[in-house]
Amino acid sequence: MGPVELLHMSVFSQSFSPCGRFLAAGNNYGEIALFSLSAALSPDASEGSQKPILNFTAHDGPVFSLLSTDTHLLSAGNGEISAWSWAELIKKVSQLFSKCMTSLEIPEINAMIINPKDNSLIVGGGDNNIHIMDMETGIFKSVLKGHTDYIHCLCFKEREEEILSGGEDGAVRIWGHTEIPLSRFQTCSGMVGQECARPQFGKWISCLATDSDWMLCGGGPSLSLWHLRSMSPTSVFPLPGCQREAVFHQDLIMSVGEGPYVSHCLHGGTVKAQIPCTPSSLNTLALNLKNTEHRVMTVGGSSHQIDVFTNFSYRAFSLSF
Amino acid sequence: MCFLNVICVPDEVIRKRLLIDGDGAGDDRRINVLMKSFTKWCHSNFSPEEGFSQYQRMLTTLAQCEFSMGKTLLVYDMNLKEMENYEAIYADIERSITSAHEKIAECKKEIQRAKRIRKNRQEYDALARVIKQHPDRHETLKQLEALDKELQQLSHIKENVEDKLELRKKQFHVLLTTIQELQQTLENDEKMESDDTQESSMENGD
Repeated sequence: MGPVELLHMSVFSQSFSPCGRFLAAGNNYGEIALFSLSAALSPDASEGSQKPILNFTAHDGPVFSLLSTDTHLLSAGNGEISAWSWAELIKKVSQLFSKCMTSLEIPEINAMIINPKDNSLIVGGGDNNIHIMDMETGIFKSVLKGHTDYIHCLCFKEREEEILSGGEDGAVRIWGHTEIPLSRFQTCSGMVGQECARPQFGKWISCLATDSDWMLCGGGPSLSLWHLRSMSPTSVFPLPGCQREAVFHQDLIMSVGEGPYVSHCLHGGTVKAQIPCTPSSLNTLALNLKNTEHRVMTVGGSSHQIDVFTNFSYRAFSLSF
Repeated sequence: MCFLNVICVPDEVIRKRLLIDGDGAGDDRRINVLMKSFTKWCHSNFSPEEGFSQYQRMLTTLAQCEFSMGKTLLVYDMNLKEMENYEAIYADIERSITSAHEKIAECKKEIQRAKRIRKNRQEYDALARVIKQHPDRHETLKQLEALDKELQQLSHIKENVEDKLELRKKQFHVLLTTIQELQQTLENDEKMESDDTQESSMENGD
């Protein structure tokens, strides 16, 4: 990989292994790199431990979405979903477990989430629809139609088993068990959400996160916290760029987007801190909560380096492709 | 400076070795010399003054040996006591380490609780802000009541007006029917009158 390619690399997706000791990251060249966190976090870590232990080409196009189940790593790019076995990957064997060429011709898959209750994979992508696939059999059970433009992000409410989806058309839709959306709201038209709208950026929603009754959404409009039962925005965060990913963590909201920093915000609407990082703009943020020893946050974006935070308030070191 | 240290260190080591060994050699040597002089004193024929002076010398050597023995015993006792002291300090430190660990765990739990509380408070605040934007419930209820009353009054008025309208309609209806009947009776009367005059003229013509 030459220096020019490294310069133009963007990390689009990340996922931690089920044991929490490895990180898989996907970039825009279609490669997936596997990093060993236990080696990088150990006291005698060196330069070499910040390089991937395994780097293989998974797709022809960029890897937009990575998801870990209990045993497998699912990666999705332009229209195909591949499954890799974590046990094999840890042994540095990059053998493909199974690949589903979706006969539905989805141009790109931007988001994948899992519904653990009925073991189904929910996929949203460029064809404006959400497809639900049963993981046991691999067949697509149902399609949720309703968005008028492609879907950026998906989110799952565990308690009520509802899916939230946000897309380029600026609408956030909540889907229940039927194929009709339970409710939808446009975040920047009409009286609802007028304060979040930023017409200079557009109306697209690129990040969604939910915490039972509360929902974060952002993208073109400002990142805002919504109360789902009353469908009203309660706080708007004054972050200048467009946010690409946001998560709830304990009492904080962490979000990444345009701008070389991770923003820590409080529920009240104040931005508590902005922690600088190496990439000039960030695409993905992942928290490793499965393993208490390697409890880190990793962010990746338009750089070949992935920043690792052991204490969430400052950057510890960077892994690089 | 550091070069000098490197050269001085072997000197120090040699000096220390000499001191230590010198002491040990001194004690041992003293005892050996004592033994040798004692045997020599016993076996040789000294003049009484020489014998006495030799005897004194031996006593002094013996005293010196006893003195150094006493000193080493004291040092040994001191070392034992120091060891006990250090053991006590060590145990103390161990205890404070464990209690510090426990305190840290407690504090961590506290912090988690405090974070949860803070999150709840923030959510409460956010919702309160939204709720505040909406008008007060009492106000709205009062407005609703007032509107209700107005509505009732207006419907009352409407009923009254409608009743009046009905009454008038009926009255006019009665009036009109009476007029019509009167007209009818008048016409009938006229007709009857004309019939009568025709009959009487026909009778007169016969």
